Amino acid sequence: MAPRFEYAQAEEVRDSFARHGVRYLFIGKSGAILLGYPDTTQDADLFLEKTEANGAAVVDALRQLGFDLTDPQSDDIRRGKDFVQLRNGPFDVDLVFAPDGIETFDAAWRRRVDVEGFPVCHPDDIIRSKEAANRAKDREALPRLRAFRDYWLRKGSRPSR
Amino acid sequence: MGPDERECREWEAEFEAAARRPLKTRLRYAFIHTYKPILDDAAYRSFDTMAQYRAWCAAELPAWLGYGPAV
Repeated sequence: MAPRFEYAQAEEVRDSFARHGVRYLFIGKSGAILLGYPDTTQDADLFLEKTEANGAAVVDALRQLGFDLTDPQSDDIRRGKDFVQLRNGPFDVDLVFAPDGIETFDAAWRRRVDVEGFPVCHPDDIIRSKEAANRAKDREALPRLRAFRDYWLRKGSRPSR
Repeated sequence: MGPDERECREWEAEFEAAARRPLKTRLRYAFIHTYKPILDDAAYRSFDTMAQYRAWCAAELPAWLGYGPAV
């Protein structure tokens, strides 16, 4: 288990992924936290566009960030396996190429929210993915997350254009 | 059953307080370091499909972690 994810590392992800042209969105609780949701989590969840070019860009960016990826692991990511859990780098991260409840990356990208340069899934998409996953911990978290979405919308937050 | 009025008020106050904190501070409070048995015991895992990942979580992880299906 790596040290906890810090703001500086979030900046490194943002900057490295931008340099390599990675198409990604923060999703899950880490995405909600970027939007302002007060809660705790251990890892960052990244929703990645499932294309070979994007997979290759992700591998390059992760290696630059200090992830110790073997060749077979890199191949998994290039191929866009639906779910990849990394605990072999400077922080813990889950790569999700096909999150439950979200039809396509492009659709989620159109609804994304920019938070200080961090691309984040719209709260409706974060909620949809948790509803579809339907894990016990999601079921517990959803009422408060929905309340946050309503609060966030009332405050006038809008998707990026 | 949905949240009651008191819970909603408490949540609203928490959202307001979080909104007053800069992003850097919010992230400092949010990302914690908690060992999760089995889940954190491998440096790398991958699954071809989300269904396979969900099935692995349900079969392998302790129920109290909450990664299994809601019942």
